[in-house]
Amino acid sequence: MTFVNLLLAVLLLALAAWTTLARNMFAAVVGFIAYGALLALAWVQLSGIDIALTEAAIGSGLTGLLLLNAASRLHVNANAGGNTGRSRLRVPAALLSAAVSGALMLCVFALPETPPTLAPDVAANLASTEVRNPITAVLLAFRAMDTLLEAIVLLFALIGVWSLSSDPHWGGRPGLRQYSEPNGILAYTARVLPPIGIVVGAYIFWTGADYPGGKFQGATLLAAMWLLVLMAGLADAPPIRRTWLRVALVAGPLAFIAVGFLGLQTAGAFLAYPEGFVKPLIIAIELALLPSLTLVLGLLLLGAPLRGEEP
Amino acid sequence: MADVLLAAAGIILVTVALGLVPIVRGASATDNILAVQLFGTGGVAVLLLLGAVSGAEAIVDVALTLALLSAFVSVAFVKSYPAASSDVTRSSAMYECRA
Repeated sequence: MTFVNLLLAVLLLALAAWTTLARNMFAAVVGFIAYGALLALAWVQLSGIDIALTEAAIGSGLTGLLLLNAASRLHVNANAGGNTGRSRLRVPAALLSAAVSGALMLCVFALPETPPTLAPDVAANLASTEVRNPITAVLLAFRAMDTLLEAIVLLFALIGVWSLSSDPHWGGRPGLRQYSEPNGILAYTARVLPPIGIVVGAYIFWTGADYPGGKFQGATLLAAMWLLVLMAGLADAPPIRRTWLRVALVAGPLAFIAVGFLGLQTAGAFLAYPEGFVKPLIIAIELALLPSLTLVLGLLLLGAPLRGEEP
Repeated sequence: MADVLLAAAGIILVTVALGLVPIVRGASATDNILAVQLFGTGGVAVLLLLGAVSGAEAIVDVALTLALLSAFVSVAFVKSYPAASSDVTRSSAMYECRA
C-alpha cells in the first residue's frame, strides 16, 4: 500500500509541475483535469470517500470544463491581441503558492497528537439524525444552515455570471448553438450515455443518506449529462428569461427555508427537525434541492447568454 | 490476494505515469486529449483495485463517477480544443466530431 501511496504522491507532484509549466493553456487544463482524477485517488487512500466523489465530479470534471471554456475564450481573444507567451507573473505566483503550501505543511506537522475534532460528538449523536452517513448528518442536520447558505451562494454566482451578458442578449440563451453530425459518434454518445448517467446520478443522490454520496455529487452527474446532450446539439439551452427556469432555480432553496421555518414552529429553532420526522424532512430537502442544483451547475457552466431567445 | 491487487494497481499507475512522458515533452492536441482519457480510465482501474483490497464498496461509486465524467470531459475537449481541428485535417484517421 505504501508503494501505491508513494507513486501517487510522485505523480501528483509531477502533474502539478506540468500544469504550472505547460506551454499553452489547453495543456495546462489537461494537466489540471488529470490532477483532479489522481487527487480523487489520494482522497480514497485517506478514507475520505465523500470527498473523493466530490473531487472526481466537481473538482476534476466540472471545474475542468469551466477552465476549458475560459481557455478557449482567452485563446480567441489572445490570438486577436497576439499575446500568448508566458507572463512575468509565473515565477512569483509559483513561489507564493509553494510558500503557502509550505506553511500549510508546517501547520499539519505542528498539530497535537490528538487534533481537536468534533467527530466523536457527531458519532455519538448520529442515531438521532436517522441517517447513517456522518457527512450527510453534518451537512443536513447539524450544520444545515451552512448547506442552505451554500445553495443561495450558488444562485448569487449564477446571477453574477448572467450579469456578464451584453444588453441585446439579456434573457437569451447561454452559449452558442451546437451541432453535430446526426449519425456520428458524438450524437450517439449523447444518446446512449445520459440515461446511464441519470441512473447513476440518481443512485448516488439516494445512497448519500447511509453511504458516501449525496445531492451535490448526484446533481453534478445530472448536470454533466445535460451538458453532454447540449454539446451534441440534441437539445438547445433554455433562454434564461423563461419563468419555469427561474421558478425551478429558486424552488430548492425556498423549500429549504420553508422547512427551516417549519422547524421554528414545531421544534423551537430555525432548521431544527421535530422528533420522528428527521429523515422525511431531510429527504424532502434533498429532493427539492436536486433539480435546483442541477440547473444551477449546468447554467453556471453554460455561461452568460450569447444570443437572443429565438432557437 | 491483496498483494497481487496492490501490485496490479501500482503497475497501472506506472503505466499512466509513462503515458505522461510524451505529453511533458510537448505533444499535439490529440495526444493531450488522449492523456486525459488515459488518466480517467487508469484512475477508474486503480480505484476498483483499491476498493477490492480495502473492501469499501463505496469506492465503486467513485469509480462510476470518474468514468462518466472523464467521458464527458473528453467530449468537451474535442469540441473546444482549437488546435484539434487542424489535427483533423492533418490525420485522416481522426473521426470528425464537428459538423
